[in-house]
Amino acid sequence: MYKVLRLTLREYLAAVKTKGFIIGLLLAPVLMSGGIIASVLLRDHVDTRERNIAIIDESGQMADFLIAAADARHENDLLDPETGEQNKPAYSLFSLAPEDDIISQMNVLSDRVRSGELHAFIHVESAAVQPSLDPEHGSINYHAESAALDDVRGWIRGVANDQLRRLRLQNAGIGENQVPDLFNWARIEPKGLLSMDDSGEIVDAEASNEIQAIAAPIGMVFLMFMMAMMGAMPQLSAVMEEKTQRIAEVLLGSITPFQFMLGKILGGLAVALTSTLVYVGGGILFMQWRGLESYIPYHVLPWFIVNSIFLIFMLGAMLTSLGSVANDAKDAQSLSFPAMMPMMVPMFVLFPVLKEPLSSFATWLSLIPPFTPMVMILRLSTPVSIPSWQPWAGLVGVILFTLLVVWAGSRIFRSAILMQGVPLKFSNILRWMTKG
Amino acid sequence: MDAISLKHITKTFDSFTAVNVLSLSVPSGSIYGFIGPNGSGKTTTIRMIMNIFHPDSGSIEIFGEARKEAHTDRIGYLPEERGLYKKMKVRELLQFYGAIKCGHSVTADVDLWLEKFDLSSWANKKVEALSKGMSQKVQFIATVITKPDLVILDEPFSGLDPVNTNNLLDAILELQKEGATIIFSTHDMATAEKVCDYIFMIHKGEKVLDGTLNDIQEKYGNDTLRIRPEKKIANLEALKGIEKVHDFGQVQELRISQDADHQAILQTIMKSNRILSFELMKPSLHDIFVRIAGTKEVDHV
Repeated sequence: MYKVLRLTLREYLAAVKTKGFIIGLLLAPVLMSGGIIASVLLRDHVDTRERNIAIIDESGQMADFLIAAADARHENDLLDPETGEQNKPAYSLFSLAPEDDIISQMNVLSDRVRSGELHAFIHVESAAVQPSLDPEHGSINYHAESAALDDVRGWIRGVANDQLRRLRLQNAGIGENQVPDLFNWARIEPKGLLSMDDSGEIVDAEASNEIQAIAAPIGMVFLMFMMAMMGAMPQLSAVMEEKTQRIAEVLLGSITPFQFMLGKILGGLAVALTSTLVYVGGGILFMQWRGLESYIPYHVLPWFIVNSIFLIFMLGAMLTSLGSVANDAKDAQSLSFPAMMPMMVPMFVLFPVLKEPLSSFATWLSLIPPFTPMVMILRLSTPVSIPSWQPWAGLVGVILFTLLVVWAGSRIFRSAILMQGVPLKFSNILRWMTKG
Repeated sequence: MDAISLKHITKTFDSFTAVNVLSLSVPSGSIYGFIGPNGSGKTTTIRMIMNIFHPDSGSIEIFGEARKEAHTDRIGYLPEERGLYKKMKVRELLQFYGAIKCGHSVTADVDLWLEKFDLSSWANKKVEALSKGMSQKVQFIATVITKPDLVILDEPFSGLDPVNTNNLLDAILELQKEGATIIFSTHDMATAEKVCDYIFMIHKGEKVLDGTLNDIQEKYGNDTLRIRPEKKIANLEALKGIEKVHDFGQVQELRISQDADHQAILQTIMKSNRILSFELMKPSLHDIFVRIAGTKEVDHV
């Protein structure tokens, strides 16, 4: 065991003593959460240039109101109340009379949008107020170069719908004042489930929020992903280099192939645990500092650690054995993609599983061993209660599968590590795995 | 007691037989030279002794016991292709290689060996900064730092200049004096002749020579006539009883067939040529090697 630990120590020091590790340790979370950080940093950098928008109102009932609403917004909602500086763009709306050939008119307006003269144009169809009377002409269309993501469209949707309700009430002969809170939209509060404490008292449900529902599960899975990337992925090229630089044969003169492989996997695991300690410890301290401790899913942490260890072991065995098969960097690159599948598949299905953690798809996927560590942690980190047998069943599957991978990997490793120039073929890998 | 005993070992890779029913005994405390052409099976044999490859059939005994994992700690191994972690410092590397060989720290011995090989000033330098010769010395130190009972060196002299070759030879002889058994493979026949107690030659996976240099040469007898003529003699091959002529410029070596009389041949030559000197000798190891390796079909020894 001393030999394995000595090799583990070398692998660990070779990884953590490099500048690359320190930089990676700092940069990985920045890169992973780059979108969030960028949006926070750019929050105050709003393009405040005026948006000129034309309206063709075939209903004859919307244009004046929308123009008035834009003017009101210009008066009341454009400046930061604290600094007095403009922090939103002004919407300058103007009406154009509909022409007989409305398609040609819109085509001309489209060119004006393309040239930058206009930001967008709105086409209110003739039956927009009462679309049930003429469904084919009951839409309000917003035309812009990037209409789907345009903030103006969101603002128009709100004010246009308010006006449509007013007009429909008028048409029904009901005064706006007769219906209190007519435009007071109800917010559906997300709440958890009630429970009973030790004294038998019913405890009210806590408010649920995005951090619990999304941030914690995604954070956990990304952390596991980072651990695997730092602890297991480098094994592929490291073993390939040791093979091609003939270091492997020197080592095999002192240790068995299994000790060699185990030392490398444990070294990678130690590297991953170091980074986890930094991230989890740092994360907990940060959350405590910001008063967000209640959002830390402490109950998931033991499962997280155990599943992460087995994931790294499983991937480590897979990658060291594949590294022993590779003859050069090109081989290593082509082998890295299949080896990453246990990490990539859970990332692909992140949101469907997050949305429906109890669905049969999520349940079955979390019980397929290569995907269990990440998918099970994703499910466990959601506020939803996962049946208690499932994490245990998943863990048993992962342990058995990891043993299988270590067994098969060590057979491949033992056969391939000294084979120079043997072509990278699936049949060769299969033969080494089955015949040893 | 034999340090190594190979009994009828065979190793095949797919349809290629690298080693074929090989038996060999290496006495303890001896220096055994492994010679043979490239691809003849030397390295495969060594790897089987090292337990890196397992023979398909046959058995291997080390120090009188069936090969087991614990023996590895008592064997120092220098592979044919050198393998050093380029980013490690020399001292750290030797400590690491020593520790995984014997299972405990060898820190105390590292500086002694570095000093012995004049590498003390390089102890804290990275391996990538070393010259080829220095890397070779570091690799040798890594092999012997644990004072193994059996040292296996695969092509230890390749790439070394004469001074470093002599240093390495001195170190090998010193290890033998301390009781170690040494095996080394080499293409340098002169060194093998000088240093080895026994010589083993493998060709196409089969043993073709095994014994002391004297035993081997005795098998061939005094079949080589070396002459120094005043003027170069042409067409010596045409003379009856001469199998082959090696022309070295100033000297010509004539291989005499076993049934021929070398005195008669010499007289025939001297009738028409002036000879400055002559010597009847046994064939050199180099010559024996070339004779065997150059033959397509080799008889079993």
